[in-house]
Amino acid sequence: MSAATVQAPVVAEHAVVAAPARASAPRRAFLRTANPLVSLAGPFPLMVVVFFVADLRVLAAMGVATAILVVAGTLPGPRVSAAVLLGAPLTAGIVAVSFGFWVDAAAVASTPVLVQAGPWAYHAGQLEIGLLTGLRVVDLMLLALLGALATTGPDVVRASIQHLRIPYRLGYAALAAVRFVPRFGHELEVIRSAHRVRGVARGRGPVAATRRQAGYAVPLLAGGIRHAERVSYAMDARAFGAHSTRTERTTHPWRLRDTALVLSFWAACVAALVLAAGV
Amino acid sequence: MTASDGRPASDLAALLDMRDVVVRHVLEDGETVEVSPRATPDGVSLRVDVGEVVLLLGPSGSGKSTLALAANGLVPHVVPARMGGTVQVGGRDTRTHEVPTLSSAVATVFQDPDAQVVTGSVLDEVCFGPENLLLPVAEIERRAELALRQVGLWERRAEAPERLSGGGRQRLAIACALALGSPLLVLDEPTANLDPAGKEEVYDVVREIAASGRHGVLLVEHDLDAAADLVDRVVVLDGSGRQMVSGPLRTVLSEHIDELVALGVWLPVATLAAVRLGLRDGQGNLPVTPEELATLLSARSAAGRLPEPRVDAARSVAPGATVIDVDGLTVRARRRTIVDDVSFRVTAGELLAVVGANGAGKTTLLKAVAGVTRPPRRTVRIAGLDPARADVADLASRVGYVFQNPEHQFVTGSVRAELRHGLTVRGVAPDESEVRVEEMLERFGLTDLAARHPFLLSGGQKRRLSVGTAMICRPEVLVLDEPTYGQDRERAAELLGLLDALHSEGTTVVLVTHDMQVVADHATRVIALADGRIEADGPPGLVLSDQPLMRRCHLRAPHLARATSHLPAPWNTVTRLADVPLSSPTAPQTVEISA
Repeated sequence: MSAATVQAPVVAEHAVVAAPARASAPRRAFLRTANPLVSLAGPFPLMVVVFFVADLRVLAAMGVATAILVVAGTLPGPRVSAAVLLGAPLTAGIVAVSFGFWVDAAAVASTPVLVQAGPWAYHAGQLEIGLLTGLRVVDLMLLALLGALATTGPDVVRASIQHLRIPYRLGYAALAAVRFVPRFGHELEVIRSAHRVRGVARGRGPVAATRRQAGYAVPLLAGGIRHAERVSYAMDARAFGAHSTRTERTTHPWRLRDTALVLSFWAACVAALVLAAGV
Repeated sequence: MTASDGRPASDLAALLDMRDVVVRHVLEDGETVEVSPRATPDGVSLRVDVGEVVLLLGPSGSGKSTLALAANGLVPHVVPARMGGTVQVGGRDTRTHEVPTLSSAVATVFQDPDAQVVTGSVLDEVCFGPENLLLPVAEIERRAELALRQVGLWERRAEAPERLSGGGRQRLAIACALALGSPLLVLDEPTANLDPAGKEEVYDVVREIAASGRHGVLLVEHDLDAAADLVDRVVVLDGSGRQMVSGPLRTVLSEHIDELVALGVWLPVATLAAVRLGLRDGQGNLPVTPEELATLLSARSAAGRLPEPRVDAARSVAPGATVIDVDGLTVRARRRTIVDDVSFRVTAGELLAVVGANGAGKTTLLKAVAGVTRPPRRTVRIAGLDPARADVADLASRVGYVFQNPEHQFVTGSVRAELRHGLTVRGVAPDESEVRVEEMLERFGLTDLAARHPFLLSGGQKRRLSVGTAMICRPEVLVLDEPTYGQDRERAAELLGLLDALHSEGTTVVLVTHDMQVVADHATRVIALADGRIEADGPPGLVLSDQPLMRRCHLRAPHLARATSHLPAPWNTVTRLADVPLSSPTAPQTVEISA
C-alpha cells in the first residue's frame, strides 16, 4: 500500500458500508438470511429425535430432507453440495456394512443370509442394524452441517446478545477465546519442534508421551496467558465495557419467517416421532 | 480531512499532562501483595499538545512502556501497580476515570499486532471501538471509512485481519485508534515486530497523522532511525526511571550526546557516524537523519576533507572447509512452494545473515537446513550430516538452533538444569558437565540466577539462556531465527556482542534478521531471499548498498547506506558504523558501545 493512498478523500454523505458477506455466500440462501438462532433452535431438537427414532424409512427421509435443506437453504457452492449429496449416502452405506460385522449374528439368525463364505454368513438383520447406526450418524452430521453453513460464530453471538439477553461482555469474551484456538495450535506445533530439537523425553510409550505433553503445557500456558492479557488491554483501550450496551451494526431481527422456520423444524420432529411410532 | 481548523486555542487543556508520575509494579500472588521497591518511572512530568510527536527514550526497564500504559489509564486501573503523581488526559484525571471511558480521549497502539485483533474482518475491527462508545451506526461507518482510508486499507476492508502483513495489521491498529476519535495517540513500540518495509509503511502513516495537526502522539520507539524525522520533542529517562533531560530531539542529541551514549540508549546511526567523524553543522548540531548526514558528508567530500573509510580486514573470511552445503533445496507446504531450488555453501567461520521480507521463506529455509524440519534427502549437508537421515541427538550436538521465542525451548525448572539438560541427554559425565555449566553461567552473566525458573527471567536473560543451551553442546554451527525480534536495542546489542565473540572463536553462525544495520555491522556474508529464491548472495557491503535489489526484496538499505550511497567511491559502499573513520582520539570510547 503506497503512501499516496493515505490521502483521505472526501467521504460521501451516505457511504454504503456493507458488512462483508461471507465469501461466496449468496444473499438469497434462505437459511443464511434467517436469524442465526434459527439454525440452532431448529435442528437441535431433531438431533435429539434421531436417537429415539428406530425406523429406517423415517431416518432415511430425515437424512434426505436435511441434505436437500443444506444444499437449497445455504447454497454452499458446487463442491460442498456434491460432497453432501454424494457423501451422505456413501457414508451411510459404509457405516452400515462395516457396523453390521459387529452385530451379534446369533441375534439375527432368522433373517435371510446375504453373503455366505463357508461357515461365516452375513445376515440381512446385521445390515439392517448397521444401517440404523449409519443413518443416525449421517443425520447428525447433516444437521450439524446445517447450523455450521447457515451461520457464523459472531452472528450467533450477536443474535444471542440481542434476543437471549446474554451480556455482551460475556459473548465477546467467548468470541475472543475462540480466536485463540488456531493461534494455540500453531504455537503448540512450534513448541513441539523446539522440544524435539532439545531431545526431550525421547522414546515411545505412554510414559514418555505424557512427559512430553506435560513439558508443552508450561510454555503454552505462559504464552497463552500473556496473549490473553495483551488482548484484554487492547480491548479495554478500545472502550470495551464503557457502557452497559454497545451499538451493533448488524442487527438480527426476529421475523415472522423465523418463527415459521423454527415451527416447521419442530413440526418435522413431531412428524418423525409419530411416523416412527405408528409404523 | 474535513476539519478546516482543528487547532484548539492555546488555553485548552493539553492532550496529555503528566506530573511527577511514579509507578511501582505490584506482584499479587494469592493472599500476598508485594509492591516493587523500585519505581519505574520515577517522577516524570511531560505534556503532549495537539500537533506534537513526543518521543520517550530510555534504556530497558526505565519504565517507558509503563508510562505509556499510565497515559491511557491501564496503569493503575488494570495493570497491578501503585501510581503517584497525576495524569490528565484531555483534562480528565485518569485516576477517577475508567479505561474504557478514557478511550475517547486517548487511543493506544500496542507492540504485538496479533494481540490486538478482536473481530473477523478489517472493517469490523475498526468499528469495534466506536460500537463500544455507543455511537450511531451512520457515524461509526463514517469514522471507519475515514480511518481506513487514512491508513490505506479501505480497499481491503472485507478481508480477515490475519491476511494483512505485519505492517498492514499495525496500520489497522492505528486506524482503530483513529476511529475512536481520540486526539491523543499513544504508540508503544508500534514497529518492533515488523520487517523494514512494514516499519516504513507504519511511519508513513504516523507522519501523515502528525502533519494533519489534529492529533498529538506519545511515541515509545527504539528504532530512532525510523522515527527521527517526525519527532518534535524527546523525553529521556535514565536507567532508574528518572527524567534526565527533555527538549527538541536535535538539541537534546547535540547537547547531551555523551550522556546519552553512556546511558546505553540506541541513537540514530546518522548521529553516531557524525560523532565518529567529528561532524557538526554550522550551528554545531549533529545530524539525526540519514539525509542530514548525507548533506554533511557531501559537503565534506566536495571540499576534499572526507577521510578514507576504514576497511576492516578481519571481516573478510579466509576460505575454509565447507560446513553447510545446500544443493537444490525445495520445500513445499500446503501446495505452495516456500523455498524454491536454493543452493549455497557456507565455509567454517562465516557469519551469514539471511534477509528478506516476511513470508520470503527465511525461517523455512533455516529449519530445513538445520534439520528442525526434515529436508528432502541429499539436498542438505550440515556439519558432515544429512539432516534428512541423521539422528536428532547427533544433529543437535553439532548444530545449535535457537528459536524466535526462547520460552518455546525451555524444558526444565531452573537455569542450571536448563544448561545441564543438553549435556545429560548426550551422556556427558556429571563432573565435566558441572564444569561446563558453571563456565556457561559465568560467560552469559547468569551465575546469580542459576536457581531461578527460566520463565521468570527478563527478556534479554531468556534470550541469553536459550543461546547458552544451544552453545553448551559445542556445536559447529549455530543457527538463530530472528534473535533480535521484539527486543530492544540494548538487549540486541548484548546478544550480538555474544555472537561476535562465538564467531571469532570459530563457530559458524547463520541468522535470520530484519535489521539491516545488524547485518551491515556483524555479518560477513548476506543472502537475500524473495519468494523462496536467492536474489543475492555476497558481502554485506555490496548487497546492502544495491538499492534496486533491496527494493526488489522488499528490504531497505541500512540507515548508514542511505547516507553514503551517493558519495564517490569507496565511501558509496560504506554500510558499517565501524568503517566510518574516527576523527579524534576522544571519539572511540563514544561509539564502541553501539558498533
